[in-house]
Amino acid sequence: MKTKKINKNMVTNILYPVIFGAIILILCQTQIMHKILGTDVFTLPLPSRIIEIISENIPKIMVNVKATLIVSVGGLIIGSLLGYLLAIIATVFPKGGAGGLSVAAAFNAIPIVVIAPIFNNLTKGISSDASFRSMIAKTLVVTVFCMASMSINAYRGLNELPPFSVDLLKSYAAGNFTIFKKLRLPNSIPYIFIALRVTVPGCIISGVVCEYFAEYVIGVGRQIRENIVTAQYATAWAYITVACIMGIIMYIILLIAENVLLKGRKS
Amino acid sequence: MTEKMIKQQDFEFVEKDFSEPASTKIKIKIENVGVKFQDKNGIEPVIALKDVNLAIKEGEFISLLGPSGCGKTTLLRCIADLLHPTSGKITIDGQSPRDIRLQKKFGIVFQSPVLYEWRTVRRNVCMPMELLGLPKKERTAMVTKTLELVGLMEFGHKYPHELSGGMQQRVGIARALAINPELLLMDEPFSALDEFTKEKLHVDLLRIWRKTNKTIIFVTHNIQEAVFLSDRVVVLSPRPGRVSSVVDIKLPRPRALSLKNTPEFNDYVIKIRNSFEGV
Repeated sequence: MKTKKINKNMVTNILYPVIFGAIILILCQTQIMHKILGTDVFTLPLPSRIIEIISENIPKIMVNVKATLIVSVGGLIIGSLLGYLLAIIATVFPKGGAGGLSVAAAFNAIPIVVIAPIFNNLTKGISSDASFRSMIAKTLVVTVFCMASMSINAYRGLNELPPFSVDLLKSYAAGNFTIFKKLRLPNSIPYIFIALRVTVPGCIISGVVCEYFAEYVIGVGRQIRENIVTAQYATAWAYITVACIMGIIMYIILLIAENVLLKGRKS
Repeated sequence: MTEKMIKQQDFEFVEKDFSEPASTKIKIKIENVGVKFQDKNGIEPVIALKDVNLAIKEGEFISLLGPSGCGKTTLLRCIADLLHPTSGKITIDGQSPRDIRLQKKFGIVFQSPVLYEWRTVRRNVCMPMELLGLPKKERTAMVTKTLELVGLMEFGHKYPHELSGGMQQRVGIARALAINPELLLMDEPFSALDEFTKEKLHVDLLRIWRKTNKTIIFVTHNIQEAVFLSDRVVVLSPRPGRVSSVVDIKLPRPRALSLKNTPEFNDYVIKIRNSFEGV
């Protein structure tokens, strides 16, 4: 029974996406995709060319990957922690808290392209080092994106409790802190993963997008922009591929963590 | 009251001896208890309970029986200190329900099993003992003992969703018994189960009651269930919720399912059913 479930999950989570990705690659390599889209190999380079560029520029790519990861993972961690904290505050103070979460939801709706320049201006005075200033501005954008999603989902996890579960703990004279520790916190874990399933790939995307507008020229996103501006489409596509790989690896790490931490729970 | 001040219960179950006369010591005294709820508009209060008087003896199995909305769960929640009466008084061994709750002397089984899906069966049963601050060795021994009592010893490492509804409810009973409480409060614990499982659990519950000699207050809307299990059935009627009659069930113990086929059993069922007519 368990083996069947694992096999089914492996098929839906791994096999189908791999088959789909392979089909796209074959269509591109054989240029069938180019005919379908009415484009050429200059605008949409062949996968073999993209791989060649990546393998020739690994040290340079790694510098940019590191810069993007610092921003994306940093923003993800800080945003998730702040989002969870906001959810706790909203749970402790339900009257004002619900309003606070509405504000968080509203923040979530603001496009990154709008927030990024605002944070660039906001962080202008914090340091004389442009790379540091830029990194803080980008991290703040990712933080806002991750915080909103986490706070809304974590709030649900902290408050949508099984019927009678609070009564049960109260009958054993449990106080609010014990109820939080024994019930609300573990109940919120699946909801944390619901948020992370959005924010983990999202933190890479938002990190990459806000690099377009950043003051300091570094990061995978910035390289995509610079190469498109200079019509180096093959190199731009190499960085796009790297951004995709980063997102996929982080998502796989998330799925593994989810399998470990949600072990035994009803799916 | 701090955790350290709580006197730890004796963790040995004392078996009930039916050849001995039942205890006459009053365990719970309910005097003129009334509960009013404000309605949604806050204009006219809803009277959930009015002037309820009842004395429950130590070691007694008592059922609160009545149709939906008669206040039986409200009364149970007042006894458990999960709800405060708007009038009247409840005392348990001369103490308030709050004191008894803070001393962790209640075991409650709800309509749903309320098992934490992230904990195995053993860890679910263990939870109240963690709150009591018991050492791990003692916790492990008590979990084993209660799981043996409810017949789930080999399911200790399963997660709740891997068990049937009846088994989940038995885990709920094991958890309620885990701290060897003085009072076992059961709020329609078998209402969501099929008839076959329910009947099996009735027999199991009576066996557990015999083995542990607890005072049990059992809320139900099923007349047969109340008659089969109880020493006394407290019949409540609605609008406002009040005690309309108390029926002593003088059927022999220990009881087996075959008792349900006897004329004496049916006489009690008919007597109680008739008491509802006109309500």
